[in-house]
Amino acid sequence: MSGLETSVEALKRLEAEALEAVAGAEDAGSLEDLRVLYVGRKDGKISGVLRGLGKLPPQDRPVLGAEANRVKASVQRALEERKDELASGRKGRHPGLDLSLPGRPVWRGGRHPVTQVVDEIWEIFRSLGFTRARGPEVETDWYNFVALNTPLDHPVVDEADTLYLKSGLLLRTHTSPVQIRIMERYEPPVRIIAPGMVYRRDTPDATHTPAFLQLEGLVVDEGITFVDFKATLAEFARRFWGPGTKVRFRPSFFPFTEPSAEVDVKRVATRPDGSLEETDWLEIMGAGMVDPAVLENVGYDPERYTGYAFGMGPARMAALKFGIRDIRMFYDNDIRFLSQFAQP
Amino acid sequence: MNVSYRWLRALRPGSSLSPEEVVETLALRGAPVESLVPLAVALEGLLVARVESVEPHPEADRLSVCRVDAGGELLQVVCGAPNVRPGGFYPFASPGSRLPDGTEIGGARIRGVESSGMLCSEEELDLGPDGSELLTLAGELTPGEPLAHVLGLDDWRLDVEVTANRGDLLSHLGLARELAAAEDGEVRLELVAGAPEVALELLSHESEVSAGGVIVRILDPDLCFRYLGAVVRGIRVGPSPAWLASRIRAAGSRPINNVVDATNYVLLELGQPLHAFDLEKLGGNTIEVRRAREGELIRTLDGVDRRLTKDMLAICDARDPVAIAGVMGGLYSEVTEDTTDLLLECALFDPKSVRATRNALDMSTDASYRFERGVDPEGMELAVRRAVEIILATGGGRPDPVILDVGPQRWSGMVVSLRPARVERLLGISLSKEEIGDLLRPLGFRVLAASGEEMEIAVPGFRSYDVLREVDLLEEVARAYGYDRFPEVLGPFRMGTVPDHPLFQLEDQVRDLMVGEGFLEAQTMSFAPKGEGEAQLSNPVSTQEDRLRTTLLPGLLRRVEHNFARGRRDIRLFEIGTVFLEQDGREAPREESHLCVVLTGNRAPLHWQGEPQAVDLWDVKGLLGRLVAGCRLEGAALAEGAPAEGLLLPEEGFTVADAGGGMVGYGGRVRSGAVDAPAWAGPMWGLEISLPPEPAPPAVRHYEPLPVFPGVDRDLALLLSGDVKARQVEEVIRNEGGPLLVDVQLFDVYEGEGIPDGHRSLAFRLRFQSDRRTLTDQEVERSVAGILERLREELGVEARA
Repeated sequence: MSGLETSVEALKRLEAEALEAVAGAEDAGSLEDLRVLYVGRKDGKISGVLRGLGKLPPQDRPVLGAEANRVKASVQRALEERKDELASGRKGRHPGLDLSLPGRPVWRGGRHPVTQVVDEIWEIFRSLGFTRARGPEVETDWYNFVALNTPLDHPVVDEADTLYLKSGLLLRTHTSPVQIRIMERYEPPVRIIAPGMVYRRDTPDATHTPAFLQLEGLVVDEGITFVDFKATLAEFARRFWGPGTKVRFRPSFFPFTEPSAEVDVKRVATRPDGSLEETDWLEIMGAGMVDPAVLENVGYDPERYTGYAFGMGPARMAALKFGIRDIRMFYDNDIRFLSQFAQP
Repeated sequence: MNVSYRWLRALRPGSSLSPEEVVETLALRGAPVESLVPLAVALEGLLVARVESVEPHPEADRLSVCRVDAGGELLQVVCGAPNVRPGGFYPFASPGSRLPDGTEIGGARIRGVESSGMLCSEEELDLGPDGSELLTLAGELTPGEPLAHVLGLDDWRLDVEVTANRGDLLSHLGLARELAAAEDGEVRLELVAGAPEVALELLSHESEVSAGGVIVRILDPDLCFRYLGAVVRGIRVGPSPAWLASRIRAAGSRPINNVVDATNYVLLELGQPLHAFDLEKLGGNTIEVRRAREGELIRTLDGVDRRLTKDMLAICDARDPVAIAGVMGGLYSEVTEDTTDLLLECALFDPKSVRATRNALDMSTDASYRFERGVDPEGMELAVRRAVEIILATGGGRPDPVILDVGPQRWSGMVVSLRPARVERLLGISLSKEEIGDLLRPLGFRVLAASGEEMEIAVPGFRSYDVLREVDLLEEVARAYGYDRFPEVLGPFRMGTVPDHPLFQLEDQVRDLMVGEGFLEAQTMSFAPKGEGEAQLSNPVSTQEDRLRTTLLPGLLRRVEHNFARGRRDIRLFEIGTVFLEQDGREAPREESHLCVVLTGNRAPLHWQGEPQAVDLWDVKGLLGRLVAGCRLEGAALAEGAPAEGLLLPEEGFTVADAGGGMVGYGGRVRSGAVDAPAWAGPMWGLEISLPPEPAPPAVRHYEPLPVFPGVDRDLALLLSGDVKARQVEEVIRNEGGPLLVDVQLFDVYEGEGIPDGHRSLAFRLRFQSDRRTLTDQEVERSVAGILERLREELGVEARA
C-alpha cells in the first residue's frame, strides 16, 4: 500500500468521524466546537492535511489535495445543514418537513358583486372619456319627473310606484335626475355616468327590490348623433359582455329621450360543464337621444346641442353575469355568498 | 295586451309571418312580446262530445249516467253537472288525456258505476272561473272534433308590451299596421259573416241631437269631444256564435253574450272602447254627458257602489249617472238576456280626465287604459258601424237609420313639419325627402308638401297623441329605417366639463383599504325603523321600516344576525351607503355617505400553528386610526370613549372628532343587548365614519432623504401609577426627546409579579438619529436621562430597576 493510498484512507475515516459527530450535535455551541476541530483554519484536522501537502512527493499532491478539499466541503455542508435543522426547531433524526401542511391563511376581503359590476362598467366608460357624477337620492317632482319631460299626469307616472316622504319630496325612481342637475351646473360638453341608489315601491321578490343601484349615462355636445349613441353603447356592451356578444337596438319609449331604444344583448355563456351556449336576447339598457324638451328645461339650445342618455341596472347585470336567479341574495349579505366574489 | 295570432293574420291578408316571426317583427318595431303561448297545447287530446242520453245514477241523486259520443264507440260517463242535457255538446276528456292543470283522466267506478273519461267545465279547462256546470258548446259541431279547434284555440296568444306613448297599438288593428309596414303590405278588416247591409247616416250637431225618440246631449264639452250613439231595436241577447266567442277567448277574455262580446270584439280589434246600454233603462231615453254632482252614486258593472265627485265626467240619463265616462258602465242599465233595445256608445273623452277619475276611484279597466293613452279620433264611426254589424249578425234586430253624432270638436287633422337637415343632425344619416316620405307613408303619415327646407307631414288620427313635434317624426324615421341599419362608427369626442366626483374616488380607495383588511362589502336597503331613521315615508313598502336611515350600523348588525343564524362566527363586513339627516328649516334631508364596519370572531382563520385569537379593542382602534387617515378626514383625531347614546359601550370605544370638535365617527365594542347573538358568538365590534361630501384631493407626498448616519435604539422600562395614561408618557418622551428622537414605540405593557399594586410597567423603544452625524453614546445617554427626569417630574413615572 502506497503512502498516498494510506493518506486517502485516513481522510475518508476523518470525514466519516466528522459527519457522525455533526449529526449528533444538539446545539449551536457544540457545532461550533466541531467546526473548529475539523475545519478550523488554524488547527482543524482536515485543514492540517492540506497544510501538510507540501511534504508529499509532487506527483501525489494533486490527488490528495483534491480529496482533502472534497472532504472539507462535505463536512462544511453537513455543519450548515445541521445548523439550519437546529434553527428551524427540527430535532435530529426526524423525517423531513411535511410540506402538505396548510400555509397560513388570512381573511379574504372582497367588493360586493354589484360593486364589482359597477367597477367594470366604470372602467369601460372611463376609457371612453366619461367621468362620474352624483346627485341626491331624495328628490323633487321637478327633477325626477317634470324636468325630464314627464308631466305628473302622464301614464308612465304611476304614483303607486313612487316612494314619497311626508314632506312631499320623493325618493328618486331613477338616476335620470342627475342629468338635470349636471346640465344645470355645467356647460356642454357633458360626458358622464352616474351610479346611484334608486327606489320603487316594489315588494321584494326574485327580480325586484325596493331599493337598487342604477347607472345613468349622459352625453351632450354639438354634433352628437344616433350613430355615436349606437356605436358607444354597442362598444360598451361588447366589452362588458365579452367577445361574441351580439347587440340589438329596439325602438322603445321614455319621456326624456327621443328616439328611444332598448338595448338587448345575446351573449355567449359558459355552461357549468364548460361548454358554450348563446343566451336569449337579454334587455340590459334603456336609452335614447336626449329629448329637446329636456335640453330646453336646463337652458341648452336643442338646435345647437344634441346628445344621448342611457340607464342600466348593475344588480340585474350582476345576476345575469354570475348566474344568480334571485337578486335578494345581493342584499342578504350572507358571507358564504359574498365570499364567492372575494379576492383570492 | 293579449293578442291572438290568428286574428292578427286575418287583418293582414298576404302575410306569411309565423308566430315567432311576428314576435321578432313587433320587438324590432317597439312592441316587445313578453310571452308567446300556443293555446292548443293545453287542450291537446280534449274533444267535442255529444251527450246521447242522460239517466239518473242509481246510487246518487246528484249524479247522472250519460252515454257520450266522442267520435268513436259510445262511452258511459258519470257526470255531476246540473246542466247536462241529451243532445248537448260539451268538452270531453277521454281516458288517457290530460286536463290543462296536468290531471290525467282515466277510467273509474263512481258509486259503483263505470265511468270512462270526463265532461268538463270552463274551470277545469282553465278557460274561465265557472266550475259549477259544464261548458256548453254552440255551433255546428261534430263529435270527436278537437276541442281547441272548435273553441278557436288552435292559435297562439301573444302578450305584447305596449309603451305608454303608443295607445294605437292596444288593438289588433294597430299591431297589424306595424306588421303591414314591416312587410310592405296592407291591412284589411274581415267582413262580418251574416251581417245585413245597413246604411247608417250621421246626424251631427255640436251639443245635442235627437232622433227616434232618443236624445244625446253634451253638457261638458271640455271633457267629451264627441259622442256617437247608435240604436238597435228588437235584438236577441244570447250566447255568441263560435267565431265570435273564440276570438274573444283567444285574446284572453271571456265570452259573455253577443252584445257585450260585440263591443269587446271592437275594443280588441280597433282599440275603440264601446259601451252598450239597455235603452229601456235609460230614463227619458236620454244621454247627458256632464260632470257628476258632488256625491252622486252609481253602482258599476262590478257591483260596487261608487261615489262620484264634481271633477268626474259621467254619462247620465235624464236623472242619474248610468256610466263613469271612459271607465265603467253602470249595473242598472247593463245589457241582459232580457234586453231588446240598446244604445251603443262610442265617445272620445279627455285622456287626463279619464286618468284622474279612475285614479281617484282606484280602478282601471280596458276602456280607461285606452282612453288614457289616446283613442283614434278618426276611427269612431268605423267602430260603431262594425259593432252594429256584429250585433245584427248575431242577435238580429234593426238599427235606427241614424247615428246620433254630438260633438263640439271635430278631428280636423294635424300637420307637423320636418327638416331633412335635422335628420342628419340628430340621426347621423343623410336621407332625401323622397326617402323620408317612403319611410313615413307606410306608417299612415302623408307628405303634404316637400318643397324648400321643410316637409309638411299629415299625422294620422291614431298617432295624434304621440307625434306632435319634429323630433317625434324623426323617431318614426329612425324606427322605419330600422335601428339595426344604423352604422356603429365610434367617432372622436371631446372631454366633458364635469370633473370626476372626488367622493367616488374616495369611496373606491376606502373599499380597497377595507378589502385589503380582509372585509367583505355588504349592501343594505336605506329603510329603517323608527329610532334608526328620521325622514318618514308616507307610503312605505313596509310599515315597520318607514324611515330613511340616519346610520348604517343597526342595519349592518342585522346582517350579522343573519349570518349568526347560519352558524357563521367569523364575520367581517363593511358597507358604504347613504344616510339621510334631517336639517332644521329645510325640507330635504342632508345626505351623507357613510362607511360602516362590523367584525366579530377570530383575528385570523384557524391554522394548525398557534392558538386562535379573538378580535379585540386594539384591532378596532388600529383600524379606526387607519380609516381616519384613509377617509381623508382633515384634522380629525380619535378621542377616548364612544358616544354614551348609541350601540357601543362608551368605555370600550372611541369617537372620531374633526378639527372643530364635531363627531364624524365612532368605533368600539357593540353593547351585547344590541345584537341577537347566539351563546357561542364572540364580542361584536363596530365602527361608522362619515365621509367628507367633497373630499379634498389627497395630500401630495414629499420625499424625505433616507438617513445616512446610523441610529441608536434605547429601550426604557417605565413604572406608571394607575392614573397615568400611556399617551401622556409618550407625549412627555417626544417633547423632551427633541429633534434627535425620531421614533417612539410602545412594545410591552406588564402588570403583576414584581410590579407594585396599582402600577403598570410600560416598555418603549426610542430611536435617536441625526441626519448630520453619527450620535455618540454620551449624547444619547444625556437625552435619555433628560427624558427620565422630565417623566419623574411631570408624571411621577420612574424607570424600572
